[in-house]
Amino acid sequence: MSLAARTPRAPVVLPLAALAVGVAVWWLLSIALALPAYVLPPPTAVADRLVANPDLYVASALTTLRRIVLGGAVGVLVGAALAVAVVEVRWLRRALVPYLVAARVLPKIAVAPVLLIYVGTGEGTGIAFVALVAFFPMVVSTVAGLEGVPEAHMDLLRSLDAGRLATLVHLRVPHAVPDAFAGLKQSTALAVVGSVIAEWLVSTEGLGALILFALEDVQVDVMLAALAVLFAEGLALYGLVVAAERRVGWSQTGGAPGPGQDRSDAAAADRRSSQTGAR
Amino acid sequence: MIAVEDLTVAYEDVVAVEGIDLSVDAGRFVTVIGPSGCGKTTLLRAVGGLETPTRGRVRVDGDPPERAQQRANVGFVFQRHTLLPWKTALENVTFLRRLAGKPPDPDGARDLLERAGLAGFADARPAALSGGMRQRVAIARALHLGADVLLMDEPFGELDELTRETMGLEVRRVWRGERKTVLFVTHSVPEAVLLGDRCVVVRGSPGRIVDSIDVDLPRPRDRDVLESDPFQERVAAVRAALSGGAT
Ligand SMILES: Nc1ncnc2c1ncn2[C@@H]1O[C@H](COP(=O)(O)OP(=O)(O)O)[C@@H](O)[C@H]1O
Ligand SMILES: [Mg+2]
Repeated sequence: MSLAARTPRAPVVLPLAALAVGVAVWWLLSIALALPAYVLPPPTAVADRLVANPDLYVASALTTLRRIVLGGAVGVLVGAALAVAVVEVRWLRRALVPYLVAARVLPKIAVAPVLLIYVGTGEGTGIAFVALVAFFPMVVSTVAGLEGVPEAHMDLLRSLDAGRLATLVHLRVPHAVPDAFAGLKQSTALAVVGSVIAEWLVSTEGLGALILFALEDVQVDVMLAALAVLFAEGLALYGLVVAAERRVGWSQTGGAPGPGQDRSDAAAADRRSSQTGAR
Repeated sequence: MIAVEDLTVAYEDVVAVEGIDLSVDAGRFVTVIGPSGCGKTTLLRAVGGLETPTRGRVRVDGDPPERAQQRANVGFVFQRHTLLPWKTALENVTFLRRLAGKPPDPDGARDLLERAGLAGFADARPAALSGGMRQRVAIARALHLGADVLLMDEPFGELDELTRETMGLEVRRVWRGERKTVLFVTHSVPEAVLLGDRCVVVRGSPGRIVDSIDVDLPRPRDRDVLESDPFQERVAAVRAALSGGAT
């Protein structure tokens, strides 16, 4: 068992300590090396930027967030729906799955300029691009989960002559939950990337655009401030997904065991009952 | 009751069982014994409608297997890995019955878990249960389904011998109370003799029935039977049939 799992506060305390050390080192370096602020501003300068103009960062963060959420939702929902369709309709599976898997090697960023032509330079392009990058991990993982049901479980439903719909609802979908969440986590991370790329290409608003503007003026402190906000935003979204997984997910090893019972208790109970029986 | 006539099941490249004639009267407990690969699982799956006969026919309480499935009249207990990991023990027991559209009976399900020694584990997920406990949940699930016919495929194959005997005798006790028709597959000779009213010996490739040995031992059975002469005689007879000698 890892240190983080054993001590309940460790997952928060240790990373926070590491962050504090990192910021301290950064601060000391910026003083010791006496570099100009356009190369390495001290952390205080970055904090000043955030405090001096919070509206700019909040507004930019919300613009970026909106694109991530809208585009991500479209990509993830279409991905999940297509996964079900592909698993249930055999010819669709044969036709599409090779491309869905092969699309891994296609850098999605190369598709962005093409979207510019077909969707235009408006906000729709940004959302479409985020949807595109969020779509692939979701569909591929969910297909794997829906198809990975053990034969023994399928036999159980076959022994009742259960139909396709019952099998989908009672077996495939719940079995796919952990894989779908794995896909959703990847999609979330990629949606953040996708939103920034979209801003670089088509938008003048959002954290990504802010970083680009700051680059033109060589305002490293603004770039770092925007990066910090973007990082926090990405973490918060990822954290939401993890929290949702904790609520509705299950895992092969854990799940939600009964009060005070683990495998070793269970094995001991087994031995006890066989001894009773042996009398 | 189970009626199997001249059953042959062939897979793509191998004939698993051939010319099987087997009849299990309602309320009887029949064990099927044979070496690994002789087609025991195939026979059981064909009875339950999970494999289609290449030749011959199967009837379960007079119905073809598909009809028996639709009536939820066959309860399977497989060797392992059949509890749904996202459901608790209690939910695992109840969901098949619910899926079959039978009236819910939550008290009955809790009662079964209690009798299986799992009263405190109703809300535990399978990952938190030992192998033996999981098999008890699987048996409770099959009983809760309310099927008249139980098909069990080496349900205790993964357990140590002592646990295995205890659970086998537990199943027999439940069977005596509920009068199910049971077909129980095993590759353990003592288990086959201890549990069965009759012990069907399958051998060869493709598998055929080479002998059928009545086991008329005193009831109810317990561990003392294991030491008795009549038990040892039946064991010797089954061993002889398995190795091809006279019976
Ligand atoms: N699904 C299958 N496809 C092809 N061959 C199979 C399949 N299941 C079993 N067999 C073959 O059929 C024979 C009988 O297998 P099985 O019924 O599992 O025997 P047992 O349960 O007695 O060990 C074996 O040779 C096995 O390899
Ligand atoms: Mg087998």
